[in-house]
Amino acid sequence: MAIATRTRKSPRRERLEAAVNYPIDWLEERSGLIGGIRYFLFRKVPGDTNWFHTLGSATLTAFLVQAVTGVILAMYYKPEPKTAYASIQHITNDVTLGWLVRGMHKWGASVFIILMFFHMARVFLFGAYKYPRELNWIIGVMLLVIGMLEGFTGYLLPWDQTAYWATIVGINLNGTAPFLGPYIAQFLRGGAEIGPDTLARFYSMHMLLIPGAIFALIGLHLYLVVRLGVSSPPWSKEAAGADWVEEQEVSTDGRRAGLTRPVPRNYVRGQRGDSA
Amino acid sequence: MSALDERRASFQRYKQDVKERGKPFYPYAMFHDTVMSLVVVCVIVGLACVWYLTSHEDPNRCQPKWSSCMLGPRYAEPADPGTTNFVPRPDWYFYFLFYLLRIFKWPDSVILGTVGIPTILLIIALVLPFIDTRRDRRLSRRPVAVIAAILVVISMGELTYKGAVAKEALASEVVAAVPSWAQREGFANNPKAVSGATVFAEAGCTACHTYLGTGGGNLGAPDLSAEGTKGKGVQGLTSYISDPSKFGNNVMPKFAAFANIPAKDAKGKNLGISELQALAIFLDASKGPK
Amino acid sequence: MEPEHRDQPHLPGPTVYPIGFAAGVATLLVGLVVSPTVIAPIGGAIAMPAPATAPAVPADVGEAAMPPPAPGERFARSRFLEGATLGLGGVIGGVVTVPVLGMALGPAFGKQGKHRVDLGSIDNFPQGDWEIAHFFLHPDEGEVTRRTAYIRYNGLLSGKPSFTIISNRCAHLGCPVQPNGPSFPDQTKNFGTGGGQEVTLIKMLPAGGFGCPCHGGQYDTEGNRTAGPPVRSLDRYEYAIDNGHLILGKTYSVAHVDGTGSTAVIHRYGLAGPGQHIDGWEQIFYPLQPPH
Repeated sequence: MAIATRTRKSPRRERLEAAVNYPIDWLEERSGLIGGIRYFLFRKVPGDTNWFHTLGSATLTAFLVQAVTGVILAMYYKPEPKTAYASIQHITNDVTLGWLVRGMHKWGASVFIILMFFHMARVFLFGAYKYPRELNWIIGVMLLVIGMLEGFTGYLLPWDQTAYWATIVGINLNGTAPFLGPYIAQFLRGGAEIGPDTLARFYSMHMLLIPGAIFALIGLHLYLVVRLGVSSPPWSKEAAGADWVEEQEVSTDGRRAGLTRPVPRNYVRGQRGDSA
Repeated sequence: MSALDERRASFQRYKQDVKERGKPFYPYAMFHDTVMSLVVVCVIVGLACVWYLTSHEDPNRCQPKWSSCMLGPRYAEPADPGTTNFVPRPDWYFYFLFYLLRIFKWPDSVILGTVGIPTILLIIALVLPFIDTRRDRRLSRRPVAVIAAILVVISMGELTYKGAVAKEALASEVVAAVPSWAQREGFANNPKAVSGATVFAEAGCTACHTYLGTGGGNLGAPDLSAEGTKGKGVQGLTSYISDPSKFGNNVMPKFAAFANIPAKDAKGKNLGISELQALAIFLDASKGPK
Repeated sequence: MEPEHRDQPHLPGPTVYPIGFAAGVATLLVGLVVSPTVIAPIGGAIAMPAPATAPAVPADVGEAAMPPPAPGERFARSRFLEGATLGLGGVIGGVVTVPVLGMALGPAFGKQGKHRVDLGSIDNFPQGDWEIAHFFLHPDEGEVTRRTAYIRYNGLLSGKPSFTIISNRCAHLGCPVQPNGPSFPDQTKNFGTGGGQEVTLIKMLPAGGFGCPCHGGQYDTEGNRTAGPPVRSLDRYEYAIDNGHLILGKTYSVAHVDGTGSTAVIHRYGLAGPGQHIDGWEQIFYPLQPPH
């Protein structure tokens, strides 16, 4: 008797579960979003993915930190040459936790760039840019380029000496491009000389244009990751899809225990609503 | 079977393998991702804290003093478009490009450093998957790719490091080295030579010449650390510096104007000679490091 | 065999209804903004009449939803609708994109702003001496237009005062060039010359010419490159003497300078960006400059 009551849920608990599930079911019926999320989460990845495979999501995390801190910084920053420097000082020295949010944004930028390079190195060494993932590599290279552009446009915003002169050089670098260079430089400056228009232009690009493009490309990047799957480490003896595995002895000594062990076939995730 | 068919078959096998032997992304792989993301966020917050706590409202001060602003100041001085003493440097991840621009120091090659090499690198990165179409992903079977990766890492690291430590032979930086020059060359007791060394540092001589490791070495200008051993004498050096073109040197500028400025020692006391003479005395006293 | 078109739905006759409907909606929208009580109802009335029912289209998906032309149709209705949709979409895109791109790209073709900088009486410039001059290109725009020029008074040339006025913008990539030699901050002159213009003159002795702190470019005292990557000489300012005052005008680029001082021959070109060749074979890379 006691065992039976323990396995059967109490009416109260059933009511509670129904109350929790109702909005989820409501959303699923009208949008199919929950199914999409479940597909994303419970899709299979090769059993031998490892820490190297976390660099991509770590880069995403760094970008999200940039997005969130950037939105808050924009609430205090004043993109005008006469006020920009003072507003940066105000954010750093006076605003509650302004130093932390600005510090996270400043250092998050470096971390984001480093992680992009690490992620790229991982994909290169794993040969993960090969068929059918060529397009995703190209999108990744584009993300690297506009990620560095994001760093370049953001570097001007504090309007201090390092910012100003690094931007002068950066703009003039573009100005030396053959044929179009002089026009590209004028476009970036918003005129013949660096001035208030330059700062507003860089602010707009840094805040809206480039982050929008990064978000869109990250969306595409992730879509292709989910669609094409993650590639196994090339040295793995259980590498998914590798026809060279047969040549070698498949490891049977149980070294791959724990999280990296292939999941047994009969493994079923506890599914909501089918407890009866 | 054509190469494309092979690749397609291989991808089908991959999908089959993942279906049969794979693990669900959540929570197995995602656990790793979450740990890594936590590390990333902690690193970012940690950097922000160290940066803030060791710096000061005043960009020229540190807090506490011993910290020497571990991660740099909170901000530099406000932008001054008319500055004559600022040394611009980019953010660290552009150091490689910055140093690349210093390598291409001939006017004809400027365009290579500014747009040429970055564009070539970008194109190589973009077409990589179409150049390397072999199916094998094992590093032992991809010697070219591995060597290329190692070379890229080494050269980027080298360029970034050199960009980080690159120093300009600017007056303010060079003047600080004068006492150590006096020490190493053994003319610390000769106030005229020390005064000449200060003129040497301030007048931008190190833009072209090198002296005990300081300076640019542009245009093949000679090292002057042991100039005094060449037997030119104070008089010969004075006339050479005031008009090098008389000695067949049309590259070095004339410094005759220094003959009109009285040389002073560190305390501002007049030494009774001109800065030009002080310069010559300094060079004559430079007999090489002891 | 009997022609099958008798079983087809009746083809609609030619109509201008869509145009009338579009005009009605446009009038309605304009009316709601400018005159909700008068113009808006008129627009509503124009747009109101119900359209004739369109023929049923097979409920297939993809390309199959586009049926072949019905007999009697000279041009497939589906083709017309396809073309019209793409065409009108293109018009919408163009109407939005042209002004947006125009506004963003416009400054790329803009001119160098005019400026007239009064540096004060020429008595401030002793003959043969160099001065570091700080001034504002546009005093009303403030600090952001602060510029620096290195100025030497060369004495009179056929009765007219001659100046060498060199911009401190490096011809490599635009870093601030510094004098190779001592400056004398204790011999500084500060004065205003009207219109908010604040001029600072600092005596200096650039015996070693000028040097760039970024990538190691070196120049002599005429601004000619002596070493490093700069692609030409330092830019110069036009000048005029007005009422005994030195007035700076436009900036221009210099390929190289022959000779020195008042008799120097300046090989002068329109203003080009740093790093852009204006002579030699490399000038083919920069055939066109924005108007200056």
